[in-house]
Amino acid sequence: MGKNLLTQEMKALRPDLGEAVSILEGKAPYGAVTLSSREFTRYLVDNNQERVMPGEPTAGVILTAFDGHTMREKGVGGFHRDELLKGAKDFVSGVNFEKNGKLDPGKERVEDFQTEMEHDPAQVSTLDKLDYLREMNQRVKNIDTRIVNARVSFLEMREKTVYRNRAVDLAQDVQRVHMSIMVTAMGEKGVVIDWTSKCGTAGLEILTFSDEELEKLVKNAVGLLDAGRIEPGEYTVVTAPGVSGVIAHESFGHGVEADMFVKERAKAANYIGKRVGSELVNIYDDPGYPGAFGSYFFDDEGLLSNPTEIVKDGIFVRGITDFFSATKLGIERSPNGRRQDFTRKVYPRMTNTFFGSGDISLDELIGQVDDGIYIPKVSSGMEDPKGWGIQVSGHYGFEIKNGILTDKMYAPVGLTGYVPDVLESISAVSNDFGLSGGSCGKGTKETVPVTDGGPHLLMKVRLG
Amino acid sequence: MLGIIQKALNDNPVIKAWIIRHETTHGFQQYELKTSTESQREINSELYTVDVLCDSKNDEGKPGSGLGRVSLLPGDNISSALEKAILTAQLVHNEPYDFAEPTSIPEIELADRDYLKDPSGKIQGVINTLKETTASFPHVRLTAAECFGQEKTTHLISSKGIDATQNDTQVYLQWVYIGGTGDDEVETFAEIYRRRIADLDLLDEAALRAQYTSDLLEAESPPSYTGPIYVQGPTLAVMIAGEMLAGSLIQTLSSAALKYSGETPWEIGKSIFREEVKGDDLHIWANRQLPYGIPSSAFDNEGIPAQRIALIKDNKLAAYIADQRFADYLEMNPSGDFGSIEIPAGSITQAELQTGPHIEIAEYSWFNPSPVTGDFACEIRLGYIVEDGKRKPFKGGMLVGNLLDALSDMRWSKETGFFGNYLGPTAAIFNNLKVVG
Repeated sequence: MGKNLLTQEMKALRPDLGEAVSILEGKAPYGAVTLSSREFTRYLVDNNQERVMPGEPTAGVILTAFDGHTMREKGVGGFHRDELLKGAKDFVSGVNFEKNGKLDPGKERVEDFQTEMEHDPAQVSTLDKLDYLREMNQRVKNIDTRIVNARVSFLEMREKTVYRNRAVDLAQDVQRVHMSIMVTAMGEKGVVIDWTSKCGTAGLEILTFSDEELEKLVKNAVGLLDAGRIEPGEYTVVTAPGVSGVIAHESFGHGVEADMFVKERAKAANYIGKRVGSELVNIYDDPGYPGAFGSYFFDDEGLLSNPTEIVKDGIFVRGITDFFSATKLGIERSPNGRRQDFTRKVYPRMTNTFFGSGDISLDELIGQVDDGIYIPKVSSGMEDPKGWGIQVSGHYGFEIKNGILTDKMYAPVGLTGYVPDVLESISAVSNDFGLSGGSCGKGTKETVPVTDGGPHLLMKVRLG
Repeated sequence: MLGIIQKALNDNPVIKAWIIRHETTHGFQQYELKTSTESQREINSELYTVDVLCDSKNDEGKPGSGLGRVSLLPGDNISSALEKAILTAQLVHNEPYDFAEPTSIPEIELADRDYLKDPSGKIQGVINTLKETTASFPHVRLTAAECFGQEKTTHLISSKGIDATQNDTQVYLQWVYIGGTGDDEVETFAEIYRRRIADLDLLDEAALRAQYTSDLLEAESPPSYTGPIYVQGPTLAVMIAGEMLAGSLIQTLSSAALKYSGETPWEIGKSIFREEVKGDDLHIWANRQLPYGIPSSAFDNEGIPAQRIALIKDNKLAAYIADQRFADYLEMNPSGDFGSIEIPAGSITQAELQTGPHIEIAEYSWFNPSPVTGDFACEIRLGYIVEDGKRKPFKGGMLVGNLLDALSDMRWSKETGFFGNYLGPTAAIFNNLKVVG
């Protein structure tokens, strides 16, 4: 077992989980027990204040009893043996489960997993972390006098999970880190902001920023003070990897979460095996993508990570599932069952969702554009799984003229359209690749860490 | 455990001030899939959160204050947790400030007594009502619903002498209506947060969503248009007060923290608008006393009592919203957390607002203006072209504009309503916005 893989309380309770599963399966066709501990701390240094704020930790036991129709769960805070065993008995007593012999607990497997790190945040002092943020704040705030604040924030998230059913006994310790630098500039027209960030399942070693990156950040923030609004209309557009990723996330990410199929919310359900975009379009979800912010070793239902090919050469292949939706639909599970924490149920959720790369360089791709807009950064997106509308808010865009990227800036740049039209319009895909991390909700709740990404894409869409 | 934590804090001379919050929650969650139950969950949790304030010094020896926070689950090691909080507090350097002094804490109605009589039964009752109501709309199908209920008790004590308890409830309901068949199917997704089941307005909301679903089946392509835009109900509430669990533009720009860091252009006594006001004058209260308001509380996490703050008066900023720390820095009274947005009734009726030709926006994909500039470009899920007494539905296209400019050229309705984090006119007309088809 790796160092500090589990908390002492989780380690002490783990040997009893098999007995609890047996109790649950004395009544229910499928029983499982999850131990879940999720902690996070935010560090912030800006020109005027410093903060170290641990978020509210969640730690508890989830008892799951499933008969193929209704997923019953009880979540109890803390890790206590008596409550576990008594709780399991009480939980299933008096419940009439339907008989179901088809609920597969997976292949037998006992294994522990832990994020590989050079600099484990748990082993680095609070002072060293604060000093690093202070240094970053100093580096940024003096680049331009119009910068009124440089807010440097660092987030460390630790997720420890044990999943036990009659076949598997898995444990994982996943460390996520996220650092962002947001600058605020003030001008005659008001206040503007811009930001840059890095993140991953990793240690602190990935959180470095070059002078060039910081200068570009400040240049763009200051540039926003004079940015104009774009004339609404249809444009030839080049999207940067982060923007491409949000298009994937909102179109064939949310739209193919398999609970949307069982709820009849997914238009994609009518398009399995059918064309939904140009043949240059390939979309994947991969919870095992090495080092990515949305990665894990196994999902919250004990299924080991592996990639799902959602769209292949423009043809929709399949969606992403949790145990319930895969059972209802009668399809093979994908490792996408995720819960926010022990107080929430599992849903099929994205992890690292991205377009596959193409074979031309970014210069060649931009060289194809006589008159268009380059969108380098996204601030948000929204899905519409039934209507297949898409809304992506670009933080700003630059004009492309005669195959050359100019400094002329527009902000914000809202991108909307009908998903198949947007994907069908993709006429070139670059050979580079990038992932951007953040959090994703279902409606306004159920937050989980994810990344979106891919290469640069050339397309025609409506901007405003 | 509370007493042990309290004693440990009192016994440590390094700690200048402390606050302990003890929260216990108990909830039920019900998930429906068509005619059957997908999942049922029950959740219990308990948490202690401790804030400690210590003196600290920066590298030049300048004295300041540092805050350390730690959260404990029942049974956690108290001394090591407090040690960590104290260490953090001594490493964090900020201008000196103090924790809130005790003042009178008002009684605010936050809990649904009816829900508390039978929590799981009441949640099942909401689902049953939704199903029964839906049966009266033959053109839509209820394919999924989620209903959560939660009771939370918070006990806050502080070294300054605050000792207060509040009990609140929260109810969450979402559902999906599907209309039509095959590739022509459409959906309407509803999501409501309230403190009381009665405030879900379930019958009216269900009827509205059923109508939207029906209209989506008839919706045509969006027009290109510049002119009056009419918005009502929860869609208007989100435009003004923001998403239920996120802040609004008004909340962001009236923040004392942003004033202190020089990041808001808003100044006390000056217009919040960059253009001359052409419509109704704007008056806003930030109201944490609003009964059953989602952001309401008798006291916030610092123990600052609920207040109703006159925020914007005659289009001018009247106050910043400050926690204790930024109130100390800016030498003002602390207001505590923001609360709900309250706006007075307008002078004309909804019917009068709609007399001329206009476009009504019923639903956006997501109304998400820039949190600092107010610029927006949002996809329209459902809108209506209203002309000569006829309402023609459309979907797609986007509404483009700036929220502050829009607020400076609008009229509010005389009718008012409550939408969880917004109390005010139920409808408004923005005189000059652009739809891009």
